[in-house]
Amino acid sequence: MENVQNASALAAAKTARDKAFWKKGLFIAIFSGFLYGGYTSFMTEGMMHGVWNDIYADVPTGVAAGVSAFFIVYTVSAIGAACVDLGSAIWSLFYGGCIGRLGDFKRTLSTKPGKILIIAAIIGGPLASTAYVIGLQMAGSIIVPIAALNAAIGAIIGHFAFKQKTTKGMVVGIIICFAAATLIGSSSMTDLNFSGGAALGCLAAFIAAIGWGVEGAVGGYACCMVDTEIAIIIRQCTSGLVNAIILVSILSIMGGDGIASGWHVLGACLTDMPSYWMLFVAGVFSSWSFKFWYKGAAMCGAALGMGCNGAYAFWGPFWCMIVCGFIFGHDGFVLPAVGWIGALVMVAGILILAISQNKATMQQE
Amino acid sequence: MRPLFQEVLHLYTDGKERSRQMVQDELRDVYGNFKAFKDHQMDEALHTAMSNGLIAESHWELDENGKLVMFYQSDQDMIDLINSYIK
Repeated sequence: MENVQNASALAAAKTARDKAFWKKGLFIAIFSGFLYGGYTSFMTEGMMHGVWNDIYADVPTGVAAGVSAFFIVYTVSAIGAACVDLGSAIWSLFYGGCIGRLGDFKRTLSTKPGKILIIAAIIGGPLASTAYVIGLQMAGSIIVPIAALNAAIGAIIGHFAFKQKTTKGMVVGIIICFAAATLIGSSSMTDLNFSGGAALGCLAAFIAAIGWGVEGAVGGYACCMVDTEIAIIIRQCTSGLVNAIILVSILSIMGGDGIASGWHVLGACLTDMPSYWMLFVAGVFSSWSFKFWYKGAAMCGAALGMGCNGAYAFWGPFWCMIVCGFIFGHDGFVLPAVGWIGALVMVAGILILAISQNKATMQQE
Repeated sequence: MRPLFQEVLHLYTDGKERSRQMVQDELRDVYGNFKAFKDHQMDEALHTAMSNGLIAESHWELDENGKLVMFYQSDQDMIDLINSYIK
């Protein structure tokens, strides 16, 4: 009799432990998308203050006086990303120091998982983000749903490269999440452009989707060997330095403005306190968002982790409505009805994805 | 010296079964002062490694306080996988 009681207590304890781990992973993955909204909103708001008003003026003035149109579109995007990522890197290093991770951070850099994280960060950070901006410029917001394919691509990579279980139900969940992201993105499709450059723009967006898919799946998998607190320091330092040093330089040269102009504007943006404090806050959000993105994918698998994170398509405009619209009083940030409908569809997609993944895990056991 | 979590996984490449407590006992001399060496963080690291197929749950039991103790072990495929990433 005692043995039977022990066996049932043991089974109950094991089930409770597995459920708690799964729920925690799910919560972390969902929360990563929510925090991504904070990152988007503070970056958007920051780039409307101080020196950014000179840069985005009809005729750029001040620090950006005389730069090319290419510079305003492409190089400035990289400068914005560099400002946020460098702030995020500083925050991640500071936080990592407070929780005693800097020693292992140095040791991890020279290991294979550490190098994988560096490559994943370059692919998903500077490369994918630049491809996304190029796509937006060449084809307009029609590329938003193409870029939203990143969760599906991450799930495919997780399935084939890391042998993660993918069932029909999970595929249905991913398709619903993708449809919801498309629905939300469609609310901003006012500048559809099917000219010759549109196909190239769509290709660029697809490259962005592959980049983010690779980063989510590979970065998430690497986090079963590397502490996520260390992975995020590697990610933000890599992305910040590559954006600031390499990408800004290359784009400055491509636009014919010279490296000095790019770094001059970057320096001005980094030291412009009326705007930079907001970009730094965006960097703090970014640090937590990407850390949870990796951790969610490591705990739940790429399919569920990235599916839950995909709700950033809703949380981005939602946070912009609160921060840029309600707090800073800018017009044009009210989330349209289609955004709310898309959010509900996405919740349904995530639920189907989560339930299917849970079933698949139980069958495996 | 390897990073803590990589050292934990490397322990399992000998194919022996270990609980979290046994891992901590083996690593305490070198890593005992690490902030990530705490029970819940080590438990989570092992569970995450298990979810990703680097180690497997071999058996589980309740200790004298009624607390669940998990034991993990790697088969040859898992050992090869760990060795392909961690030198």
